[in-house]
Amino acid sequence: MKQITNTIKSNIFNLKMLSLVALAGFMFSCEDNVLPEANSIEDLTPPSAMFSATESNGDWQTYDFSNQSVSSTTYAWTFGDGNTSTAKEPSNTYAAEGIYTVTLTSSDANGLTSTFSSDVEVVEPLVPVILLPEILEASFEDGMLDGGSGDGRDSWRNSDLGGVIQITSSPTNSGSQAAKFPSAGDRIAYQELEVSPNQDYVLEYWYTMKTSGTGHMTVSVLAGDSFTDTSAAVAATIATFEGTDQTSSNDYVKVELPFNSGNNTKVSIYMFNAGVESRVDDVSLRLP
Amino acid sequence: MKQINLLLIAVFALSFASCEDTFLAPELETGINAENYYTTDSEIQAGILNIYDGIQGVNALKITNNNLNHGVQVEFYLTEMRSDNTETKSNEGEAAQFESFTIESTNGIVADYYRSYYNVIFRANLVLDKLDAASPEKKAAFAAEAKFLRAYAYFNLVRLFGDVPLVAGLISPLDTETAFTRVSSSLVYDFIVSDLQDAVANLSDGGANDQASKAAAEGILAKVYLTLGRYSEAQTLLESIMSPSRGFSLENDFKDVFYNEGNNEVLFAIGYVPSSNDDSQNFSAEWLNAVGRTSGVNYVSMDAKAFLDTHGGNRTALSYREDAAQAGKYQVVKYLPNGDAALGIPVTSSDPTSAGNDWVVLRYSDVLLMHVEAIMAGGASTTSSNAIASFQAVRNRAGLTDAVTSISKQELADERRAELAFENHRFFDLVRLGLAQDVLSAFSAANGLGYSTTDLLLPIPQVEIGLSNGLLSQNPGY
Repeated sequence: MKQITNTIKSNIFNLKMLSLVALAGFMFSCEDNVLPEANSIEDLTPPSAMFSATESNGDWQTYDFSNQSVSSTTYAWTFGDGNTSTAKEPSNTYAAEGIYTVTLTSSDANGLTSTFSSDVEVVEPLVPVILLPEILEASFEDGMLDGGSGDGRDSWRNSDLGGVIQITSSPTNSGSQAAKFPSAGDRIAYQELEVSPNQDYVLEYWYTMKTSGTGHMTVSVLAGDSFTDTSAAVAATIATFEGTDQTSSNDYVKVELPFNSGNNTKVSIYMFNAGVESRVDDVSLRLP
Repeated sequence: MKQINLLLIAVFALSFASCEDTFLAPELETGINAENYYTTDSEIQAGILNIYDGIQGVNALKITNNNLNHGVQVEFYLTEMRSDNTETKSNEGEAAQFESFTIESTNGIVADYYRSYYNVIFRANLVLDKLDAASPEKKAAFAAEAKFLRAYAYFNLVRLFGDVPLVAGLISPLDTETAFTRVSSSLVYDFIVSDLQDAVANLSDGGANDQASKAAAEGILAKVYLTLGRYSEAQTLLESIMSPSRGFSLENDFKDVFYNEGNNEVLFAIGYVPSSNDDSQNFSAEWLNAVGRTSGVNYVSMDAKAFLDTHGGNRTALSYREDAAQAGKYQVVKYLPNGDAALGIPVTSSDPTSAGNDWVVLRYSDVLLMHVEAIMAGGASTTSSNAIASFQAVRNRAGLTDAVTSISKQELADERRAELAFENHRFFDLVRLGLAQDVLSAFSAANGLGYSTTDLLLPIPQVEIGLSNGLLSQNPGY
């Protein structure tokens, strides 16, 4: 009996609900749907526009745009140069260098929008300049430095590594002076050069040795600069040529010493001899 | 009087005790725990091995519980299969999200990797926290080894996920702010560089190549520097490794890189032991046809096959083979557990599902090609003789002995793809060399895939975002 009562009550309740729903239906139909529909929830994820730009591989004028917008379905781009796009991830090619303001407006299907702007700086990349340093007092002549100064060997001194070279007037390869390394082997020539890293160069020079005795006239290129002791200098050798041509004490022999500057912005030329009086003239540096 | 004294002592003792919370957190005296374990060098050493164990991951075919960490064993999904190199055999399932660039934030493999590498970081932080127990002579080397492995983990995380939480020490479970706050990748890189510089300074060479070494730290740091555009610093490190006195060289036979473990070419590998439930791997089995849990993953894409056919030299035959059970599908030949008689590859693991093939992280040809990259220094090409010498050495081994006179960025990328195919380099190389957008968008368009630029970062696993209570933000596009 109790169960029956409950069922009846429940049916009455349902009936009331039904009429309520019916009423509600009538009421809404009179209005223009300005109120949210029943059970609708607020849009908690409105669109949020965001992008990044990267220079296209191998083309400095073209930028690829990475779309990082959230909750968006349609996109409108203005690239700052008059061009526009509605693609999701467009590219744009700029005609000239400059700073362009790129704007992305992203929208969702509810018609909400979000705008994000960022500047793109279009710069033509610099062509890397290969340094080809001038070798100072390269032919060991007087008056080759600024203002006509210099004794032909001022640029070749490093007293930590050895005494300064002597100057000879005969024989020379050209001009009236050349460098002379006495047989004692206690004099050296040293000069630092500013170079491009990892660049191939060729160091050229001319040398001659006396015909008696045994020994060598060695020219090395060292990685780095500021050498103050011989063992560090030898350890830093990138390229070296040990000259032993004693055919004639008058005729100079040309040497081409190729080297790669490696991971250095400076290299040093280091010349030393042993045993035999030797001469060096006309040092030059060129690209291969 | 004596009784009063005793009483006083008791009162003192009580008052001391009341200052500590041993009542609520009593010290465990009978068992070993993380608090009391680390007291000697050998126990610290065990803690270090535990870090390697984290990277090694669990063999999912031998220890099958859910939610274990599989470490580097699932890395190929996130890298090779997310590039133009490989795909699943059947192009379906969660694993196929990678090849089609439709990865969901709920992808379980992504979550596995993320979880694994933060666990590796935790294990490293644990050792670093307990270093006071180490002897003074060994302390610096222990710290260096832990930092090397921590940096290796962060380097992978930051490249895969972008900004990530930076956990620099042990944190309590309540420190959700550290665990879930994403730190800008430039700060993460600063942390990686600092760890690796420490490792370079305090590690030495001469151990097994599945252990951290000075050369391994120099090589990984060089790659970090290349990623950051610090080319000159990278070059210095690489030339240090290349110095003949260090003893590294290319194997004469390409096959020996993978099947003659402990060779002079591999600078760092993750070690595995065949037929061991705890220390074997299953990625080798997964790459075969229905030998592992999958029907076959990391199968060679047609794009990669065509590329290797033209660029591989004698590496081609040792990089992929046709699946004997399914014509027209191609398997990776590096890391085969059960050999290949036709190719002269020995059986290395009697049971392919518990394979012992080590995972190679860094090898000498990578060092040589990084050397080229450092000299190219972000430019479009190089003719530097030092770069050409390194490049030519790699090509000569592959039987490509035509003299190289200049190297373009594209040629460098191609050589890396041919030499290091299926070793989880391709994706990172494309991003680092600035080629990812061009290559992956073209690959995606040609194969009807879903690539967009936001796919260059993986999603932060949804489970982490859920746990973070709003702290952890998702990457764009997910």
